[in-house]
Amino acid sequence: MDIKPIATGVVLAIGLMFGGVAQAEESKAKSWNLAGEQKTVLSGKVVDILCELTGDCPANCGDGSRQLGILEANNRLTLAAKNGQANFAGAVADLLPYCGKQVDVDGLMLGETTRLYQVQFIRESGQTDWAKANTFSKAWAAKFPDDAKKKGPWFRKDSRVTALIERDGWLGLGHQADKEFLEWWE
Amino acid sequence: MKRLSISAAAVAVFTLALGLVLQPWNRTEASTPSKRVSVTGEIMDTWCYVSGVMGAAEATLGSAHHTCAIWCAAGGIPVGLLGDDGQVYMVLQLEGKGTAGGDPSFLDLQSETVKAEGEVYERDGLTYLVVEKILTNEGIAATHEDYGLIPPFAIPKAEKARIQGAE
Repeated sequence: MDIKPIATGVVLAIGLMFGGVAQAEESKAKSWNLAGEQKTVLSGKVVDILCELTGDCPANCGDGSRQLGILEANNRLTLAAKNGQANFAGAVADLLPYCGKQVDVDGLMLGETTRLYQVQFIRESGQTDWAKANTFSKAWAAKFPDDAKKKGPWFRKDSRVTALIERDGWLGLGHQADKEFLEWWE
Repeated sequence: MKRLSISAAAVAVFTLALGLVLQPWNRTEASTPSKRVSVTGEIMDTWCYVSGVMGAAEATLGSAHHTCAIWCAAGGIPVGLLGDDGQVYMVLQLEGKGTAGGDPSFLDLQSETVKAEGEVYERDGLTYLVVEKILTNEGIAATHEDYGLIPPFAIPKAEKARIQGAE
């Protein structure tokens, strides 16, 4: 009996069935113990999400003003919501240099119903070395050089943020609300 | 004849595998045409709400999480609108401005309950919203009495002392 066709079929079947699992096994992403967290490697083109949906496509993926994502070869679009830094930073600064390019990203898919992606590592397709997705702070400092000269993490000294807190208080309900809250809470 | 049936078996196995691969979890959806909507809900921080990084999702809404919501929006994390129906709308544009650059006009809207008009797009499990106009603004819901301050370090120690009149 010629078993070659069966063997070929089985090998193909196993390869296709477990392709997605193999992808997860290759991930070097670190767990953040988040809801519905799943280590995930994606390969595709860095795109401007709004451009993909509407056809409104400014140069350079919106130059940092627009949310970016990964468009895989199978046309699946994934929004990159977060980078690898634990300092309230999104993923745009890390993805923007790759606008329109084919990349691999490694990170976490998370969430129970709404699913978001956190990019921890990125590399251009065909490259072997990964870069950490942690460039937000440097990009912020370059954009806000006067704020960057002050002490502390970016979110404590960003003048857009401090202006709002100065005006509305930490709860957003006015300074009297902050005072009453702290008297009760502390 | 035997060889033919073996080949047929191989094709069947391959087809079965292909069918498994094309199950819904691997299937992609084409971009759908937009739908005109008017949605009421809170302008919120999608990362903290979805990820559970700050604990319960409810604790990441309103005044309890207001400062953190501003930080995340300034950091370019996607801003959302949590509709009264519980739907998380990923806001891509707010009155003509993209939501990744931390524009002061939408930092100013964080935690506020608004009625927004715009276009909705469904794609690969997410609901995206392009807000053309904010119609009404009811302000920030007071949630700090239920959840305290999220995260607790949002107000620095020295600032707490200043607010309480100790410095």
